[in-house]
Amino acid sequence: MKATEFIVNALRKQGVNQVFGYPGGAIMPLYDALYDGGVAHLLARHEQGAIMAALGYARAGARVGVCIATSGPGATNLVTGLAEAMADSIPVVAFTGQVPSALIGVDTFQEVDILGMTLSCTKHSFLVEDQNDLDRIIAEAFTIATTGRPGPVLIDIPKDIQLAEMASETVSELPALPPLDGLVDEEVAAARALLHAAKKPVLYVGGGVGMANAVPELRELAAALDIPMVSTLKGIGSADPEHPYYLGMLGMHGLKAANLAVQESDLLIAVGARFDDRVTGKLDEFAPHAKVIHLDIDACEHNKLRVANVAISTDLKLILPALKMSLDIAPWRLHTLEMKVATAFRYDHPGIAIYAPLLLKQLSARLPEDHLVACDVGQHQMWTAQHMTFTQPENLLSSAGFGTMGFGLPAAVGAALARPDAVPVVITGDGSIMMNIQELATINRAKLPVKIVLIDNQRLGMVRQWQTLFFDGRLSQTILDDNPDFVALAAACGIPGETVVVKEQVQPAMDRMLASDGAYFLHVQISEQENVWPLVPPGVNNGEMLEQYDEC
Amino acid sequence: MSAKQVHEVVIEANNTLEILERVLRVIRHRGFRVSCMNAVQMNDCNNIKITVTVSSERGIDLLYKQLDKLFDVSKLSVRHITTI
Repeated sequence: MKATEFIVNALRKQGVNQVFGYPGGAIMPLYDALYDGGVAHLLARHEQGAIMAALGYARAGARVGVCIATSGPGATNLVTGLAEAMADSIPVVAFTGQVPSALIGVDTFQEVDILGMTLSCTKHSFLVEDQNDLDRIIAEAFTIATTGRPGPVLIDIPKDIQLAEMASETVSELPALPPLDGLVDEEVAAARALLHAAKKPVLYVGGGVGMANAVPELRELAAALDIPMVSTLKGIGSADPEHPYYLGMLGMHGLKAANLAVQESDLLIAVGARFDDRVTGKLDEFAPHAKVIHLDIDACEHNKLRVANVAISTDLKLILPALKMSLDIAPWRLHTLEMKVATAFRYDHPGIAIYAPLLLKQLSARLPEDHLVACDVGQHQMWTAQHMTFTQPENLLSSAGFGTMGFGLPAAVGAALARPDAVPVVITGDGSIMMNIQELATINRAKLPVKIVLIDNQRLGMVRQWQTLFFDGRLSQTILDDNPDFVALAAACGIPGETVVVKEQVQPAMDRMLASDGAYFLHVQISEQENVWPLVPPGVNNGEMLEQYDEC
Repeated sequence: MSAKQVHEVVIEANNTLEILERVLRVIRHRGFRVSCMNAVQMNDCNNIKITVTVSSERGIDLLYKQLDKLFDVSKLSVRHITTI
């Protein structure tokens, strides 16, 4: 048996039945094995599209994403996706072809030291030196990608190794995992004592909750504590959005009540969150009166940016139930509820022009229960986080920690394959979509029913907003008023669509989009002057957000 | 500017081809400077012992936990040397 046949068998043994990739010279032996290997392969039109699709598949389907690329430029085109997976803790295993072993290090055609290049953006990586190590390496790669804090693993395989014969055809069983550390009584008691003493506690929910499969435990804890909650971008969908004291996203574009509650709080319970700079704003003025309980599987996050009074590194499914109690915080609950009501978003936008927050709120209300939304990066991403409602974290795929424009369209491709019963929606901008626009052809090829909503302000909107606010309105390289005809571009890829420019066109267009069997492209033109509010400017604390509402 | 702490870190790890790069990359990226380093292959050739002296204004705990997280690292110890 050739090594490449063994790899495909090992993938199947890992439960992998879908991979993403793009062939090329140094990976041709593996593609030959995939030809009739019994594992489905989705051909993207760029390696970056392939790995973003694998990430969308992993995030939406709660499984490992697998992608494959050739050596040299194929491998380097994966780098942004690996970094994205590292920042957002997404389990992915990437296979790259490498030039033959004897030619490594002599500047061969399409040779690059991808292992060296990706040391900083993989959780671990392997260069296969002996085909008989593949059994161990693949098992380790999947274990590393999925355990603890998930992340990307790279396996670089020289072409001669791919073609070599295996000494054994047997794929080993996965090694048993050492059990996670259990609860430490003293730590639990210390956390409970802080909770019991708190008068203004806030639960700060991050992406780790969904990845730990601890949404039920979080909601049970929230119900028991009846506590005000805020969410990071990646945490959205973890807390029950109907919970009366759920205040929404915090941070730079967070909801006012969420930020104010955190600033006033006397105890933050950070759950699978990491005090990211987009969350904290000016770090030394973030939640200045709060003690901190920090719950995260990755001990590296403890005391990295904010010193915790109690830091616990264990499975959230274990620790969250141990914190249940009744809290005597009625005045605080009432106060946060009053703030939530008083600062709620308004949608009575004047004029006939389309107001993106209202459109997204309407779209959210119209989507069937089983849906998923993949975002790109920019203003539309923040509006989506602010104005759409998500009931599960795997329903919102957003490039949070790395902020990768071009994520949304290919992520939706992977997500659509992971969750074929869900309605897959892309919310994107005219800047972001052009970064992986070639994946329209992938959507057409795979006949995926992806609904693409392009919020087009003919600007690189978020950068334009900052230029307007903080760079004297000098719009350096952010005017995109020569964008392509997007509907024609989609049509050229076999995807029907339409353009809407005024409010009254929105609902009928949504009708057509949601009634369509296949992919659909809804091109939404909005004013170039729309901004994302609130906004916490650089260098101030989250209580000092700007709230100037649009004049357009 | 706050004082720099100097620590000696002793790492035992799988003797992979790239292990020194992995360790040094983490040390650099997390804000530490190397002033002395010694790496010796251990008796079985499968493991390596790396002794490295590092300095930084940042707490050594941040580096310790990042090194401990590396898949190839099997044993780790830290000793405070001096303050500069």
